[in-house]
Amino acid sequence: MKTNTLLAFALFCLAGQAAAMGVKGDAAAGKQRATTCAACHGADGNKTLDNTYPKLAGQYPDYLLKALKEYKSGKRVNAVMAGQVQALTDADMANLAVYFGSLKGQMGIVK
Amino acid sequence: MTKTSLFIGLVLALAGSTCLAKGDAQKGKALAYTCTGCHGIPEYKNAYPSYHVPKIAGQNEAYIVNALTAYAKGERNHPTMVVQAKSFSAQDIADIAAYVSALNPAK
Repeated sequence: MKTNTLLAFALFCLAGQAAAMGVKGDAAAGKQRATTCAACHGADGNKTLDNTYPKLAGQYPDYLLKALKEYKSGKRVNAVMAGQVQALTDADMANLAVYFGSLKGQMGIVK
Repeated sequence: MTKTSLFIGLVLALAGSTCLAKGDAQKGKALAYTCTGCHGIPEYKNAYPSYHVPKIAGQNEAYIVNALTAYAKGERNHPTMVVQAKSFSAQDIADIAAYVSALNPAK
């Protein structure tokens, strides 16, 4: 009984951690939504329109999702992105974050 | 004559705009040592709220300049980044962006 409770608690903790680690989203659905993004961020998430636009390919999905949510709430201010995110649902944003995070990127850690 | 001077003026204007706060990657490397404390650790996470600190090595140069400038002005509001960015001059920011954007971690 005690072991079961402990096991349940451990599983609960692990599940919580897993949810925080990865964004739950559908990359294929994100790809469908990403056609607009491609105009500036590049179809591959690397070849941006010019270098004022960030590369998104391979970026951490949880960071991308945070950015999208902040554009929508107005916490992060960018005229172009504010317009783009208004039509996106939470699920759309999660799907886009997972999709761009899954693309082969050119970025990494600073050494 | 007027066409030629107009042309020269245009060339000078263009040259001037691209020369504005040109970054020195060598100087940027020294300044970017601080960045490695968070942006140099694979899978490093921000606490409260919890999310991965973004990958910035190899990110586009002008985007990095804009991001750091926005933090310095308080337009972007991550507490640590605001403090860091405020400690940099516009030239420091250009230097850091030159260095960080030129990194090629994918190679």
